[in-house]
Amino acid sequence: MIYGDKSLGVIVQNITGRQGMFHTELMNAYARDLGGRGVVAGVAPGKGGREVHGVPVYNTVKEALREHDATRSVVFVPGGAAGDSIMEAAHAGITLAVVITEHIPVHDAMKAIAYARLHDCTVIGPNCPGLLSPGECKLGIMPAHLATRGNVGVVSRSGTLTYEVVDELTRAGIGQSTVVGIGGDPVIGQTFVDVLARFEDDPLTKAVVVIGEVGGNLEEEGVRSTDLPVVTYIAGVSAPPEKRMGHAGAIIEGGEGDARSKVRRLAALGIPVASRPSEIPGLIREVL
Amino acid sequence: MKLLEYEAKQIFSEYGIPVPKGALIRAPEEAAAHLPETGGAVVLKAQVDVGGRGKAGGVLFADAKTAVDTARELFAREIKGIPVREVLIEERLAIEHEYYVSIAVDRSSRQPAVLFADAGGVEIESAASAVRKVIVSPLLRDIPPFLMRELLGGAPKDLAPVINRLYRVFQEKDAMLAEVNPLVTTPQGVYAADAKLIVDDNALARQGIAVNRDLSEREREAEKHGFSYVELDGTIGVIGNGAGLTMSTLDLIEYYRGRAANFLDVGGGADQERVMHAVRLVASMPDVSVIVVNLLGGITRCDEVAKGIIAAGVAPTVIVRMAGTNEAEGRQLLGEHGYRMLESMDAAVRAAMEVAP
Repeated sequence: MIYGDKSLGVIVQNITGRQGMFHTELMNAYARDLGGRGVVAGVAPGKGGREVHGVPVYNTVKEALREHDATRSVVFVPGGAAGDSIMEAAHAGITLAVVITEHIPVHDAMKAIAYARLHDCTVIGPNCPGLLSPGECKLGIMPAHLATRGNVGVVSRSGTLTYEVVDELTRAGIGQSTVVGIGGDPVIGQTFVDVLARFEDDPLTKAVVVIGEVGGNLEEEGVRSTDLPVVTYIAGVSAPPEKRMGHAGAIIEGGEGDARSKVRRLAALGIPVASRPSEIPGLIREVL
Repeated sequence: MKLLEYEAKQIFSEYGIPVPKGALIRAPEEAAAHLPETGGAVVLKAQVDVGGRGKAGGVLFADAKTAVDTARELFAREIKGIPVREVLIEERLAIEHEYYVSIAVDRSSRQPAVLFADAGGVEIESAASAVRKVIVSPLLRDIPPFLMRELLGGAPKDLAPVINRLYRVFQEKDAMLAEVNPLVTTPQGVYAADAKLIVDDNALARQGIAVNRDLSEREREAEKHGFSYVELDGTIGVIGNGAGLTMSTLDLIEYYRGRAANFLDVGGGADQERVMHAVRLVASMPDVSVIVVNLLGGITRCDEVAKGIIAAGVAPTVIVRMAGTNEAEGRQLLGEHGYRMLESMDAAVRAAMEVAP
């Protein structure tokens, strides 16, 4: 497992929102089953003193951390205010912020990630499903029932496509060490390079599935940086240029970042590339 | 969203970046009213959103005598298939040297990157090696002098304030890209001869932009329902949840030699109403003969999705693959109404291929 274990306390920012409430309960149900600490406090400005599913709510991150021992935050704060919330968390002493929020302006993301780094806070996301170490801890919104503990790491720019791959792996009897969704935005806190470096230091992880998509060239950068056996899948080989395919970062710009050339370059590095998700378990077996 | 040249130049001008004197015209005759007082040469530039506009015939030169006729010629043209409705008429600059400068979001470093080249103009794409690049912390308001020196190399120092103003535009206008190609020196000083500005779609509201012009009418309609939607030209409609899974479904259609008609991501927690709108929207495209619905996730309620599909009641065949809560109820509902629900996305796409021509 990487990025955390069940002993670490978690806060949820915007815990009183629909998503925040719902996933606080799911994260805590997961933690309860494993004897983990889960979400110990929530933050919602102006709503301090309330409770959400038994979790106390505070006006600021600083107040929450004064009363509770926590180092992780899951951020559900909506777009325009999310950048500020990331900085607030970093400033107050959170060392890992998992940002679920979609539609954060890119300039806010750049500033918040740079500011968090100055305060030794790692940011995962934005626009991501978070992470799940099966049997250990869950930070975010991934459906835990699809995953099973094992020694394959999964890192992906996507949400539901990740669940699809995790489901395929589990059905094939291949368990996962940690599943990380790094987010679908052009600017994200942890890229493939960062997550793969964590997987290298993780004794549980023996191989990694890298799930990429159109836009940028971060997949190749990541795969080049690691010595772990890697299997890749790139979504969007049929995506037209200059069209945003759902994710803010999934766009072929100026002839760069198309899936076919990504696949070609990965294959040239000797990396197995699945042409559809259902091929991934077979390819993983070959490299394990 | 991409701004047109004249819109970008207006913003540049507000930030103190010198731009050529000019005016926007919507009819050839209007050119006569906007000739330079000195009687000098003019340049007429089609305001169309295409790359390589100059090479495609979108920029013409004229003088006081020929301006109206040249404008007429330009208004009659199509530039890469786009009709010319607006033309920017500008005084022609006495260019001494052309440079290239752009500021973009660098995904790898997660910070702004400033690019500069000593040779600007139309050939910049093929001269990538001569481009210098510096990364600037997004926490700084200006490009620090040491980085500016590295960026400019031997280029004139009076470019620096203009590049810093461009950096301010980039920051304050939520730009994904702010580009000047060429940035020119003239006996009268430095000018932005061209201007390109792309605004972050996630910041349009705070930039006071109400309508994203880059989207088609159907795409905008989809956005109102909270869908991400892209039109393609095939026969198999696609509805998925999550961008990655939906893209992957399109790829699978191509893998089995089919052609997808669209990309539609319904987003998280799709309920009956949203699914119904999605199915109707995709079915409204004339070429669609079959629709693949591929939904996966912990919180998607399969019975809700099934009700949405049934309520939509569209003519094209709908083939469903979904996994989530209340799967058995969803399957039963769909079965009662004659819809097929399949176990895997491979199976769903193969079934769609049997229906699609």
